Amino acid sequence: MKTEDLIAALVADRESAPNLTRAAMLALAATLGVSAALLTMIWGLRPDMGAALEPLVALKTLLPLGLGGVALALALRLSHPTVAVGGLPSALLAAPALALIAAGLTLTTTDPAAWQMQAVGKSIAKCLASIPLLAALPMAGLMVALRQGACLTPRTTGFAVGLAAGGFAAMLYSLHCTEDSPLFYSLWYSLAVLVVAGIGAALGPRLLRW
Amino acid sequence: MNSGPAKEDWDALMQAALDGDSTAYARFLRAVTPVLRGIVLARGNAQFGAAGCEDILQEVLLAIHLKRHTWRRADPIRPWLYAIARHKVIDAFRARGRAITVPVEDFHEVLAAPADPDPLADRDRDRMLSLLDPRAADLLRGIGVAGDSIAETAGRLGMSEGAVRVALHRALKKLGSLRERHVE
Repeated sequence: MKTEDLIAALVADRESAPNLTRAAMLALAATLGVSAALLTMIWGLRPDMGAALEPLVALKTLLPLGLGGVALALALRLSHPTVAVGGLPSALLAAPALALIAAGLTLTTTDPAAWQMQAVGKSIAKCLASIPLLAALPMAGLMVALRQGACLTPRTTGFAVGLAAGGFAAMLYSLHCTEDSPLFYSLWYSLAVLVVAGIGAALGPRLLRW
Repeated sequence: MNSGPAKEDWDALMQAALDGDSTAYARFLRAVTPVLRGIVLARGNAQFGAAGCEDILQEVLLAIHLKRHTWRRADPIRPWLYAIARHKVIDAFRARGRAITVPVEDFHEVLAAPADPDPLADRDRDRMLSLLDPRAADLLRGIGVAGDSIAETAGRLGMSEGAVRVALHRALKKLGSLRERHVE
C-alpha cells in the first residue's frame, strides 16, 4: 500500500475519535461500582458508620479519595503527549503528608504503651489483601480506557493508574475497616496503595504501549 | 527548502479535520507527510533504505490518525505531531532491532522529502495489507488503493455504509497495533 493510498484510507475513516477523559471516567465509574457492590456484599460496611465521621477517622476515607483523584488527573495528562503535568506530581504528596501529620498528632495524644497496639491493629493481612483486590477491576478499566491515549512514559503512567485505582479502592475499603487509628491507616493503607501502584507500573509498559 | 504546503496553517487544518472536514484532513496529512518522511529518512535511510523508511513513515501516519484525539485544540499542533512521530520512529527502530535516540532538534532542521516515484514498487506492495484478515484487507485496498468511496465499497461488499465505516476503522486500528510488532 502506497503512502498516498494509506492517507486516502485514513481520510475515509470518519469514525469519531474517542474522548479520553470521558472514557476513563466511565470505565472508572463502572468498575468502582462493581467494587463497591462487592465491598457491601462480601466485606460488609462497618456497623458503626457514625464513628467514621470523626475528623481523624474521616481522613481514612478522604485522603485516599483525594489521592485517587489527583492520580487519575495525572494519568490522564500523561496520556496526552504534549500536556504538561503541572503541579500534579507534588499534589500526590498531599495525602501521604496529611496522613503523616495525623499519625504525628496521634503519637502526641496517645499513651506510648498504646502505639504499637494501634499501629499493628488486628487486620493488617486483610487490609493488604483487600485493597489490591478491590483495586483490580478499576485498574483494569482505567488501563483499557487509557490504551486509547498516547503516553510517552508508560511506566509512570501505569504507576499513576495504579495509584488512582489503589486510592479509590482504599477509600472503599475504609468504609468496611474499623481500624481507626491514623497509626494504622497511614502505614498499611499507604503500603497497600503502593503495592497496587507498583503493579500498575509493572503493567504499564505492556498495556499502554502504542 | 521550505516547500509551499509546509507553510500552511497546520493547526487550523487539523482543527477543521477534527470537526469533520475531510478535505482539510487530507491536506493536513499530505502537508505533514514530506516533513515526516524527511525525518525518517534522515535517521533510517542507511539501515532500512527508502522502502523501509516508507514503512516507518506509514506507521507514524497511522499513529497520528489513531491518536489525534490526544491533541488539545488549544495547543499548537507541531509539538504534538513531533512527539507522536518521535515516539513511533524510536518504536519502529527498536522493533527492527536498532536502538536510536532522536534528538528533538532533529525535528526543527529536517528537510522535507518528496516521495520517490514509487519507493515500494520493487517489493510486495500489499505486505502491509497481508497483516489483516482478507475481508479487512479487501476493504482497505478498495478504499485506499482503488479510491472507492464508502458507498461504493458498501455496494461492492454487500454491506451497509455504517458497517463499512466501522470495518474500516477497525482495520486501521488493527493495522496500528499489528505494525509495531511486525518486523521484516
